Amino acid sequence: MHWLAIHLPALPLEVYPGSLTSPLPLAVGQDPGGGRILLCNAAAQGRGIRPALAAGAALALAADLRILPRRPEAERAALERLAAWCAGFTPQVSLAPPQALVLDVAASLHLFGGARALLARVQAGVAGLGYACTCCLAPTPGAASLLAEQGLDGIIASREALRSALAALPVTALGFDRRGHDELSAMGLRQMADLLRLPRSGLAQRLGPGLIARLRRLLGEEPDPRPSFVPPASYRGKLDLPAEVPEAPALVFACRRLVEELCGYLLGRQAGVQRLEWRLGHAERPDTVFPLGMSTPSRDPGGWLDLLRERLGQLALPAPVRSLALAAGEIRPLPPGPRDLFPERAAARTPDPSLLDRLRSRLGEEAVRGVQVLPDHRPERAWRWCLPGEVGTGSGRLDRPLWLLPEPEPLEVHGQRPWYGGTLDLGTERERIETGWWDGCEVARDYFVATTPGGQRLWIYRERHGRRGWFLHGLFG
Amino acid sequence: MGLEQILAGHPNLWRGRSASAAAPRGVATGYPALDTRLCWGGWPPASLTEVLTERPEGALGLILPALSPLSQGPRWLLLVDPPLPPFAPALAARGLDLSRVVVVRTGGATAWAAEQGLRSRACSAVVIWGGETHWRGVTLRRLQLAAQRGDALALLFRGEAAACDPSPAALRLQVRQAAEGWEIRILKQRGAASAGAIRVPRLDAGLGSGPGFETARHV
Repeated sequence: MHWLAIHLPALPLEVYPGSLTSPLPLAVGQDPGGGRILLCNAAAQGRGIRPALAAGAALALAADLRILPRRPEAERAALERLAAWCAGFTPQVSLAPPQALVLDVAASLHLFGGARALLARVQAGVAGLGYACTCCLAPTPGAASLLAEQGLDGIIASREALRSALAALPVTALGFDRRGHDELSAMGLRQMADLLRLPRSGLAQRLGPGLIARLRRLLGEEPDPRPSFVPPASYRGKLDLPAEVPEAPALVFACRRLVEELCGYLLGRQAGVQRLEWRLGHAERPDTVFPLGMSTPSRDPGGWLDLLRERLGQLALPAPVRSLALAAGEIRPLPPGPRDLFPERAAARTPDPSLLDRLRSRLGEEAVRGVQVLPDHRPERAWRWCLPGEVGTGSGRLDRPLWLLPEPEPLEVHGQRPWYGGTLDLGTERERIETGWWDGCEVARDYFVATTPGGQRLWIYRERHGRRGWFLHGLFG
Repeated sequence: MGLEQILAGHPNLWRGRSASAAAPRGVATGYPALDTRLCWGGWPPASLTEVLTERPEGALGLILPALSPLSQGPRWLLLVDPPLPPFAPALAARGLDLSRVVVVRTGGATAWAAEQGLRSRACSAVVIWGGETHWRGVTLRRLQLAAQRGDALALLFRGEAAACDPSPAALRLQVRQAAEGWEIRILKQRGAASAGAIRVPRLDAGLGSGPGFETARHV
């Protein structure tokens, strides 16, 4: 058992958002003319409509039935996005259009803890992305997709079990054309068991060599190579919402699908992203676009959703949202699993950046900063804002105040003495800073540690040239 | 054998007012005079401390000695809405590792940012200047719980008028500027009696009033 087939029975309806759960009877027609019903939702089934019913008969049962045309491109796009997501389970993913994917999971069984665990994980994941599915694990890709298409959910462990599982299917499952069907029924063949019992040479003469080759591939007697799906170079997802959403926080649930899809895609590429661009589509207004960023590349859906929740909580929508689109920024390599032999120790060395991402996503990039020391005597240039965690090149000075005013504040002068709520006691020390003539930001000041009558200590200076004014520049703590 | 000796031999015996034996070890404030009066022997760990003062920028020096060792660890030191930009050379000189310091300007979301920092477990301490923020009991309770959950020191500066409002903080101090230091009154400490006023001298006392010298620097 090497192959896992994922069949999406409701895909033609699922590409119409919200149609499955709609209270109105909806169906998808088999061909553009809508001759027969291919698939219908629960409301239509309640009215007695079944797949393969003629459109006229269906409309006679339910006059308000809407028969939708099939959307092959949308189905194909959904299938490809799902294939990209599946790349998290195995690098060998093939499309089996129109409604299935086949995964070579031979090498993945051990990693995911066995066939049963893998199957459960795939099923839960596909359901989380909003698709109904049947998954079948079988020794050959053809048999896996055939059995999944027939609604068989489970694991076929051996060749013998495969033979008996196939034998139980009706011959119609092989999808012959009308002539082939007539011929088979004329021969009295109903079950696959009947077909498998017959000698191959005679069958080949009657039904052509193609059938024999197909049977041999199904049973694993002949190789059945499948082209491997190549994921696109970048990720773009789009989701039409079943109903307009007026409140931004209510979008989180719908966004989860896109984020899960993206993270599956990233896992398959062993990559992460630092920036996402979200685009919320409105009916008659330009889209609302906002970015989301992290300080390190990530493919953790929980982390991205946390950031998104904060951002959406802050967002004022100009109009109700009809569709969501997600585009990944630059994709960077991110090896799987822990890179350090002792991951706890790696975590213990550097602080966790995800807190800063969360703060930034709500308050803006500029609101979360670090400070660093620069080697300059001018107080304004002895420090600057920087990214948190960056280290400056200067060294500290104990005789500096804990707070620096953004701009020096002119002080009143009463009787030749600087005044700040009272005459200031200038102490006995003075520090002269006179530098910077070369870069156009020259200072020539005498600094004093002054004490107010109330005991507050200030860092003040007097200009050495010009008007020789007094300024307040810092506060000691 | 004195009574104290007998009691000391029974650490499990609960002795009402002096809960100090049971209190977890706090973060040393760096001021021995203050440490001895606090039942944790320092700032209460993983709890909210309120510093009620009319001059919040003046009390930074009081908490700085405790922050310096914390900044050597692997977690952030979050300063939420400080009234002015903190002056990096002065912080560095007092032993603060600036690569751990994060200054957040919230534009009104002080409580939110503080709670995020506290509960994230990514911060060793969160210092909060609310400015004009009106702190409701519920908000303070959230901060207290977040500090517990995130094992972080929460230090909140408020005006002295708040002394009358009830608060879930583990420790509440009233801090007033005094000559060469602060006059501190312990309004509340969980599990122990509040005490009268203490005078705590500044660590850098003497700066600006020491023996006169003049440094000249010409380039």
